[in-house]
Amino acid sequence: MAASPTSEQVAALIGAPVTRIEALSGGASSATYAVDAISGDGPPWPLILQCAATGSVPEGGLPRRDQALLQQRMHDAGLPVARVVRILAPEDGLGEGYVMERLPGEALAPKWLKQPQYEAARAGLTAQVAAVLARLHAQPLASVADLKLPTGSTAQSLERMFANYRRFGVDSPVFDLAFAWLRERVADRPATQIVHGDFRSGNLLISERGLEAVLDWELAHLGDGHEDLGWLCCNAWRFGVWDKPVGGFGLRVALHEAYEAAGGGPVDPERARLWEVWGTLKWGIACLQLGDDHVSGRLRSVERAAIGRRVSEVELDLMHILAHGDV
Amino acid sequence: MAEQIEAAALIEAVQGFLAELEPELSGRRAFHAKVAQNALAIVARELAQAPQAQETALLAGVLGHEGRIDDLRAELCARLRDGRAGVETPGLVEALLGVALAKCAVANPRYATFRRLAV
Repeated sequence: MAASPTSEQVAALIGAPVTRIEALSGGASSATYAVDAISGDGPPWPLILQCAATGSVPEGGLPRRDQALLQQRMHDAGLPVARVVRILAPEDGLGEGYVMERLPGEALAPKWLKQPQYEAARAGLTAQVAAVLARLHAQPLASVADLKLPTGSTAQSLERMFANYRRFGVDSPVFDLAFAWLRERVADRPATQIVHGDFRSGNLLISERGLEAVLDWELAHLGDGHEDLGWLCCNAWRFGVWDKPVGGFGLRVALHEAYEAAGGGPVDPERARLWEVWGTLKWGIACLQLGDDHVSGRLRSVERAAIGRRVSEVELDLMHILAHGDV
Repeated sequence: MAEQIEAAALIEAVQGFLAELEPELSGRRAFHAKVAQNALAIVARELAQAPQAQETALLAGVLGHEGRIDDLRAELCARLRDGRAGVETPGLVEALLGVALAKCAVANPRYATFRRLAV
């Protein structure tokens, strides 16, 4: 990771004066900055700069440049996505990343799911996210043919996830039961749609008016659009509002109806349920990964160690689904 | 009482210390102090509830023999991986639901699914 960018560096990137840069979050390999710039004719121009060490995208992952291009194309297609202002080039010396517009709104889901001023926003949100997904999944693959979006059939993806689980050397009978259950039920489908890949309440930017933007496109890939419908409903993204399976704010049947009404093609509720189980298991393996950060010494932290114990929440959700049909 | 200060008392003392420290910390450190208190609460529940003993008994029931917890887990996982066991295996879903409940009771008894099932 290069040193923190200076105002002059960012001003040169975007061709406009910069009055403030603030680090919002930073990890070992990537960082996000809020940038206040001034646009040509005087008004403030709030931006986000995301940059990461070159090579920090794992092999087979979506290169950051392609992520920015995908985001820009989805913005141009009318989806609520922040406009990309500038993609970093190697000669910029800031690693890989891009500058995009910073939109107003609340990104912390526990806040907008619970605070009363977002009540009207929540009421309209199921229809809004359904329309976004319908539009995303209807985009022709030809429009992204030049981007290195990861791809694979559903059977290949399931085997990849199993291999990922086995990397940790952990034996979880619940996870293995869920894998066995999925292998029996998931039909092998080719990748036919653009999938956001991390479409959950924590990646929605919400204002009192409703959905402002869909964030975080780094896990976008080609696959089955039903994956997004299932992932959105995983219990981990409901923040305790378990009786509203759609991200803690809506009902599955309303999501599916609105998706179809918005032209998203027929929803197979059973297939969406399989993706919900899949997503729950995937989140469980992500918890193993986070715990492994601590155990392996890659990132020793009490927070990583504690999050490893969230595996038991996932195991309980999976067993609730297998015993009672859903969670 | 084997000791005047048992493990649970030590845990409580360290939790109290972290709570005292918290107002002096900020940002990431303050957050980690909260997480650390929570982690100690998990340790205290694990000592009190012995979920691994419950899991060992439940897994032994499904597999039909006794064993160490690691061996029982590995054997059941191997059976699930090669198709010798599955959701139709008698008693398996009930046993693993019991295991998951025992583990979540320790890790996070406030979790919504735990509260739904533990009524």
